[in-house]
Amino acid sequence: MGLRPLSGGPKKGAMSSNGPGLWVERNLSAGTYPERSVERVERKGTACASSDIIIREEDAWRMWKEIGGREAGQIRPNSFSNRVKSNRVSSLQLSNYKDIVSPHRGSINSLQVDLTEERYLLSGASDASVAVYDVQRATDYEGGGLIAKHKSIFVVDKQHEQGHKYAISSAIWYPIDTGLFVTGSYDHYVKVWDTNSTQVVMNFKMPGKVYRTAMSSLATSHMLIATGTEDVQVRLCDIASGAFAHTLSGHRDGIMTVEWSTSSEWVLVTGGCDGAIRYWDIRRAGCFRVLDQSQSQLGRRPPLLERSAMNKVSMSKSLSTGQNLSAKSRPQQRKSANGNGIKQSPIGRIPAKGSVRQRLHPGMLSSQDRATAHYGAVTGLKVTDDGMYLLSAGSDSRIRLWDVESGCNTLVNFETVRLQTSKAIQLAMSQDPALVFVPCMTAVKAFDVWSGKTCLTFRGHYEYVNCCWFSSQDQELYTGGCDRKILVWSPSRLISDELDGGPMNDQDNWSD
Amino acid sequence: MNNITDSSKARKRRRDEEIEDEDALSLGKFEDNLTFSDTLVALRVMRSQFPRIDKVSIQPFILQSQIYSSVNDRTQVDRELESLRREKVLRIFKLNTGQDDHAIMFLDDYLTQIERVEKRMEEKKQGDLQVFKWFKTHVIDSKLEPSIGHQELCELLALGGKVKDEHISLLINAGVLTRQLIDPDMYWFAIPNIGSVLKGLSQGRKELLSFLNRRRYKEMMLAPLEKKRLRLSPLDMRFHLRDLIGSGHLKTIHTPTGLVVRVSKD
Repeated sequence: MGLRPLSGGPKKGAMSSNGPGLWVERNLSAGTYPERSVERVERKGTACASSDIIIREEDAWRMWKEIGGREAGQIRPNSFSNRVKSNRVSSLQLSNYKDIVSPHRGSINSLQVDLTEERYLLSGASDASVAVYDVQRATDYEGGGLIAKHKSIFVVDKQHEQGHKYAISSAIWYPIDTGLFVTGSYDHYVKVWDTNSTQVVMNFKMPGKVYRTAMSSLATSHMLIATGTEDVQVRLCDIASGAFAHTLSGHRDGIMTVEWSTSSEWVLVTGGCDGAIRYWDIRRAGCFRVLDQSQSQLGRRPPLLERSAMNKVSMSKSLSTGQNLSAKSRPQQRKSANGNGIKQSPIGRIPAKGSVRQRLHPGMLSSQDRATAHYGAVTGLKVTDDGMYLLSAGSDSRIRLWDVESGCNTLVNFETVRLQTSKAIQLAMSQDPALVFVPCMTAVKAFDVWSGKTCLTFRGHYEYVNCCWFSSQDQELYTGGCDRKILVWSPSRLISDELDGGPMNDQDNWSD
Repeated sequence: MNNITDSSKARKRRRDEEIEDEDALSLGKFEDNLTFSDTLVALRVMRSQFPRIDKVSIQPFILQSQIYSSVNDRTQVDRELESLRREKVLRIFKLNTGQDDHAIMFLDDYLTQIERVEKRMEEKKQGDLQVFKWFKTHVIDSKLEPSIGHQELCELLALGGKVKDEHISLLINAGVLTRQLIDPDMYWFAIPNIGSVLKGLSQGRKELLSFLNRRRYKEMMLAPLEKKRLRLSPLDMRFHLRDLIGSGHLKTIHTPTGLVVRVSKD
């Protein structure tokens, strides 16, 4: 019979703080299982081989209870898996059992795990190198078999005769299988590679530095690569024919980010250095929506009555610009012949200067819409999986959440102090729990999508973080930065303590 | 929030060169007035705490970062500001002090400010002043966003009378409109006579940040810090503290002896 510890609550480091002279009652009897929470001490894996993790027995009890509930049918399968995933995501930390060895000698600009198997990670770096890693099987083990090292399966760099010459800004997998991947680089080329033979299959020359390439994961009838470059036009490259399909014009400056919609294979979203976000349907000319940051709605979806009123207003606006007759249309941006912009004629009519009468295709009228979504350049875009919301990050250090259907800013405030302004950043999203991972300077922050609060902060990189990717299958986050490292953030793992005696054995703390 | 006895003791203990505030609310400690529950309440309190500047006559305005530091939920702040803006209770202006700065002013204060400027221009007999009337009745009433395009501006002014180039230049000279740097056809709405205050704002920010950065641990207790006076800025320390805390450059930490203000490294 020993003295009970003074407080029944959880004590971190309870074992080490009890010096000699105190018997600590171990919770060996199973009857009092849920009442007390005895904590085991966590020892980081640096000093010794074993790495026990702190668990509270209350949490383990809760977990078993939930499994029992699932078995009995009290908890639905979706909510059960969401709870497990949320628990894992909330415990994300720098992985102490997984490490990716990056062979790059330049900052890492792009990361993507393939969408079919979620097994291969593709990374593109500023030293024109591309590497592929297997994130599920390690190449070798260190630290007594506890730390898995993932070396690259292959690397393609400047020495390759068909390789890129300058920095690679974007490397993506072919969405159907991992047999092909596409890279875009500052040397004005977009190359399509065969993975198994690491040879270039197709080459597309662009008019400027390529900032971003994207392929639609839903596409069944086309194989187009959308590329955003320094040039004002978005180009669509066709793998099937090896030529350009068509170009989309409307932006007034280079295009930093390109994303395909997750709800339609024909819809493309682009964000430009002019601060505008445009929605394009590639089957017709011109963009069909330009997001304006001053149009906002209070809440996730606009209330029903307001929506019908807004529809009427937007419809009348589009009709009037189409007909060019109404006086209430959006201001035209053309300078008149007088040169000072004050028109005597009713607004809406394009001045006819004799024979030079510029008649615009109705689809191209959107190019005159100068609404901006951000006060600076748009540096990152991410569409949610259900295709209903869009997240955009800008160089004005703001992140905005847009409702796609109404085109309004939902006014969710994400607490960012500074974001990288010169380079595009890659955002990552997790659906359940709804989190968005944003690289903010040297840390990666996870925000709750609907409230904008910071949930987690990941600090580990030595320099700016450029890209991140969240694997929803394993709940792991991969981040790459200017310090040439790829870091893995994984949920804390419970490792059994067979290697070491551990405090569970009936030993006492007396020193000899 | 404040006791009368507390305030009298505080007044006795204050040194002479400190700011004397007439308003009862501002006599209490800054720590007590740090957070509010509602945006409108926060706006009203901050409007009453706006420092009086001798040389420039300017109506009180509040920076958006100050509201962020005072109300916990920033999304709620944004949404409430949006609905207040739509109800025409206040107006939001984009400032040119570099970052994503916005100033909020109650509509009545803004109209008073315009009237002041109008009176001054009338004394100097600088031109046709009916454009100010057109501006107040037609433009401010219908255009609630912080920027306006040239065409739309002319349209709305034309509802009052015949618009000429000189009218627009008059508005720009008065400081009510400013040209956008990126786009020659767009104007920002601006608060007239605010130039020197904005200069004081950016200099005061820099001074406060450099003062804290020079300290060994880059932090200071809030109570003595708010009593200090800034050399380069006509605005008081509390204004700058709220602004920098809200924009994330400074953070407040609770300690057993009170709040500590520290430079945040990010």
